[in-house]
Amino acid sequence: MVLNDFLQNIIGGVTVGSTYGLIGLGVVFLWQSINRINFANISSAMLTAYLFYSFYTQLHFNFFFSFITSIAIIAIYGLLLRYLVFEPISRHGGDKLEFVVATLMLCTLWLSVIKVLYGGLPKPFPPVFGESTKFVQIGPISIPSVYFWIFFVVVLLIFALFLFLRKSIIGKMLRATAQNREASLLMGINVNMTTSLAFMLSTTIVGIAGILLAPIYFVSLELGGGSIGVKGFASAVMGGLIDPFGAILGGIAIGLVENFSTLFISSAYKDIISFIILVVVLIWKPRGIFNWTAKGD
Amino acid sequence: MRQILKKIIYSAFLAIMLLLPFFSRSDYDLFVTNKALLNIILASGLVFLTGFAGQISLGQAGFSAIGAYTSALLTTRLGVPIPIAIICSVFLSVIAGLFVAIPSFRLKAFFLSLVTISFGQIIYLLLVNLTDFTGGSRGLFNIPFMKLGKSPFTNTLYYYLFLIITALVVLLMNRIKYSYIGRQMFAINDDEVAAEACAINSKRAKFFAFGLSAGLAGLSGALYAHLFGFLTPDPFSFFESSNFVAMAVVGGLRHLSGGVVGGFLLTWLPELLRLNISGFENYYLIINCVIVLLVIVFLPYGLGAALFKALSRLWGEKQSALTLRNLKNKSNNIERE
Repeated sequence: MVLNDFLQNIIGGVTVGSTYGLIGLGVVFLWQSINRINFANISSAMLTAYLFYSFYTQLHFNFFFSFITSIAIIAIYGLLLRYLVFEPISRHGGDKLEFVVATLMLCTLWLSVIKVLYGGLPKPFPPVFGESTKFVQIGPISIPSVYFWIFFVVVLLIFALFLFLRKSIIGKMLRATAQNREASLLMGINVNMTTSLAFMLSTTIVGIAGILLAPIYFVSLELGGGSIGVKGFASAVMGGLIDPFGAILGGIAIGLVENFSTLFISSAYKDIISFIILVVVLIWKPRGIFNWTAKGD
Repeated sequence: MRQILKKIIYSAFLAIMLLLPFFSRSDYDLFVTNKALLNIILASGLVFLTGFAGQISLGQAGFSAIGAYTSALLTTRLGVPIPIAIICSVFLSVIAGLFVAIPSFRLKAFFLSLVTISFGQIIYLLLVNLTDFTGGSRGLFNIPFMKLGKSPFTNTLYYYLFLIITALVVLLMNRIKYSYIGRQMFAINDDEVAAEACAINSKRAKFFAFGLSAGLAGLSGALYAHLFGFLTPDPFSFFESSNFVAMAVVGGLRHLSGGVVGGFLLTWLPELLRLNISGFENYYLIINCVIVLLVIVFLPYGLGAALFKALSRLWGEKQSALTLRNLKNKSNNIERE
């Protein structure tokens, strides 16, 4: 019995945690290219979930069309974020803090836009990943079938990202820019293009995470603020804000800790525990636990 | 001639501040102004911490919550007189501020902001979950109002009390800014290593900055509790903290008037935008966010700094050296990155 609880929590924690890792990945890509944290990072998750909901449930398009259109819109939003927020602030002499406050305001702005357009009540997510009440029975453990889908998509996405970053020339350019901006300028890499790409990748990945989280959290305002966003930051910090795969591992670690603190302590305190972990990691190892990109401490 | 103009404008401003309760259209307007004064106290602390000492805090609402709940619990449960309760709550939030200062020794900018976000969120979640102690989301009721003799304070009396406290806070800020402590802060903000080499104890300066801003946040929270008479965890959420930082940035981080201008404007702006046209009740939040975004994007020095620049041009004075310091330097840094 105890063992079953244990296994079930591990599976749940890894699945939910990997989506936190995806949100952290959005933070990582932006940090690498412009050295800033976008505090409206999680808003892309909420926006994509709502876009998908509109396309699929309200306008009755098919799954692939709605998925691809909402992802495309969120990628364009990433580009707009660069040219309408980041660049003007830098041009007018704003520093890091101005970017922080601008993105925080953006986060509040999207929350209120969604509240006006869709109302504050959570919407049921369309059962594209199977009914949420359907469980798969493996021996004594029962797992919601949604979890398999989430895990499948996350693994597919990570594999694609791995191929993209390691094998393709654009991915190599992106990594080179992240390592040394000036040197890659000198090597003839189009830094302007890679920066735009980093913005788009960041919002797109968080958007996909938003669609994956929607069956668990519903299409709600909770996706666009509060604790999920901070968990994304926490997982990015575990990877030292540099290592993309460290961010995924960090997200999984946070998911596991969250589930086990629900099991052993209380569900009311699970968020507090993940925040405490974030603080402890930041103070103890500011360069991250799962960080193999940067050497030394 | 210009000196006379300066005197006229300043005395007109002073007269308006003193006579405001007699001009205000309704009690509600005065109430919002009181809230604005409390926000000014908090935002001034934030301007000091962020603009002068260069430390980001996105958890100011946490300190404010500590102040508010301490004062409320002391007066309701233990029957402590209000002034003593307020002093205790300021003391407690200063201690919390000192603890939050410790991570700032190693962490900079974004990492520090993540620590302070977590601090604010932990406090918020504790307020929601410790139901026996804080009343949870239902809140605390029957917090005593301040009393003058037998009768409780009216909004007008609260206004004068808060005005005096705000004036003292701004005066204190002014004194600190030009004292050796303030100059130490500027030095640390510019270059911490160089400041250390000049025998400035950066740890002590950071303790001081965090302690002061936390104390002001606690004071503002405690006064808030006695102004409202009830407390819920809602006004201490993360979005409130980000709103406080927005006040400081909109007002101008590197200028003393930043907290005053930002606190006043951002408290009144949503109220002014709240038009009673059917179908548009919820749009005021969107417009509010858009206006703040535009100010931050196009006027990163802040409205307070811009206002004082215009005023000093009006009476033909030079800007003091410390106001718009090294901004050029900073924008060069960005290009170099």
